[in-house]
Amino acid sequence: MIPSFIRCFAGSPIRCLVSSLPPWLVVSLFLLNSGCSGYIQRMVVGSLERMGDPVAPAPKMITTPILDNPPLAVSWVGHATVLFQIRDKVFITDPLFTDYIGMVVKRYIGPGLDPSLLSRVDFTLISHIHFDHFSFGSLDMLPKNGALVIPLGLLRYTPDFGFRGLKELKPWESFENDGVRVTAVPVQHFSGRYGIDNAWLNQKGYTGYVIEYGGTTVFVGGDTGYHPELFKEIGSRFRIDVAMLPIAPGSLTSLGGRVHVGPPGAVAIMQDLGASYMVPMHHRTMFYGSDSNPTAAIDQLRSLAGEMGLSDRIIGLDIGEQRVLHLNQNGRISAQP
Amino acid sequence: MKKLFFVLFLTGFVFQASAQTEESEDRAGIWLPFQLLPNLTSYSSSPLSGFGFEWEFTPLLYTFGMNKQISPWYSFIVEPTARFTGSIEIVLAGQVFTTKMGRSYFSASGHIMGTIPLIERGEHLTLNLGVGAYRIADRTRIFKVAGISTLFGIVHFNFKHAGNPTAWISSLEFRIF
Repeated sequence: MIPSFIRCFAGSPIRCLVSSLPPWLVVSLFLLNSGCSGYIQRMVVGSLERMGDPVAPAPKMITTPILDNPPLAVSWVGHATVLFQIRDKVFITDPLFTDYIGMVVKRYIGPGLDPSLLSRVDFTLISHIHFDHFSFGSLDMLPKNGALVIPLGLLRYTPDFGFRGLKELKPWESFENDGVRVTAVPVQHFSGRYGIDNAWLNQKGYTGYVIEYGGTTVFVGGDTGYHPELFKEIGSRFRIDVAMLPIAPGSLTSLGGRVHVGPPGAVAIMQDLGASYMVPMHHRTMFYGSDSNPTAAIDQLRSLAGEMGLSDRIIGLDIGEQRVLHLNQNGRISAQP
Repeated sequence: MKKLFFVLFLTGFVFQASAQTEESEDRAGIWLPFQLLPNLTSYSSSPLSGFGFEWEFTPLLYTFGMNKQISPWYSFIVEPTARFTGSIEIVLAGQVFTTKMGRSYFSASGHIMGTIPLIERGEHLTLNLGVGAYRIADRTRIFKVAGISTLFGIVHFNFKHAGNPTAWISSLEFRIF
């Protein structure tokens, strides 16, 4: 017991202490720290400054969330919440409908979907344990007639929401239900929800997913940093049509840090995956602590894609925007009308 | 009282042993130092009043708010989710009170506490209700307990009351797993 803490402390004392402390203490220490340079600190301070401001309505609202057997329909609800439908199956990723995340971080823009319009969701996919991706209040707003899919390590954090199914997947593990194959794939992020649990969850509690149904394959990135081999490995195992990838709060000019990517990192992941299209997400919805301009990431992505000749492969959706993709002559998903 | 404490200790260790996993050594090693952080508490009664510190632990907790794929029983290391989504637990604690006259009193207590989720499945706010027995200054007294917890089940404000003669205990508790 004690030796493991000593080993952790001896290996990297600052990382060990920070990962072991409870979040309220970490935030307090960040706030006490001069310079206001920490990512979490800037995100929390940015939210506190806007505490009294109303949440702006979404620029668009999805009025018909469930369509009649589209080849692939994709709607961006905001942050990492993407509602997509492959033929008759409806999926939602990391549902977030609340104004506050983790009690203190406030969203800029409301969700582009009223969850009460959803008559059913076949698969609710949770990418990881953090408050902005695993929101208890938001999960309570969803219909419960489908399965809740979570990464390894989250079972001990999952209340009894009442979903018809609950499936915890470890990396590369798959499960099939009604013709849909869901595979958890490794991504590069970090774990921990309440502070010290990060120290023992370590490599657990976060994942990406690959969804295969009816000849269409979708990659859900959740939240990830760039890794030079990881996404190539995923790309070698699956022929991915659409990759839903985070584009913030990572660097606007480089591949990004260990746990987040910005536009260049997201483009690199898309290319490593060999994905035909990218749906950018995880941006604009709140202050991410890296840039005070909420559209900086998507502006930079569009600029970068233009320079690289990839513009027609980026499906940039506004919050609340829905896009239906079609099948081409080869039976693959195409964004061309 | 001592026998009861011993039985609860033993029960807790048995449950803890049955819940051993490959990561349990790391969990316990990281968890243990944080349990040394004391709660702040105050005791108000006549003739004894004082401010003090409290160390508490949970030998046994039953959750009724978690998914059914895991055991509802917890011992010592309790994920906050298990507690704040709705639970009933046995809490044992030791206190040291210092009076304004400078004399210190050591006390021990045992509680049965219920946690009822109010907002966001209890992650933002819970109602805490319970009953506890305190052994203070060679006298055992029964207290009714009411309070709230917030900040992901980590911070608890609890108030405890006993009658005849009236006594109040208030506590600011930190439950870090």
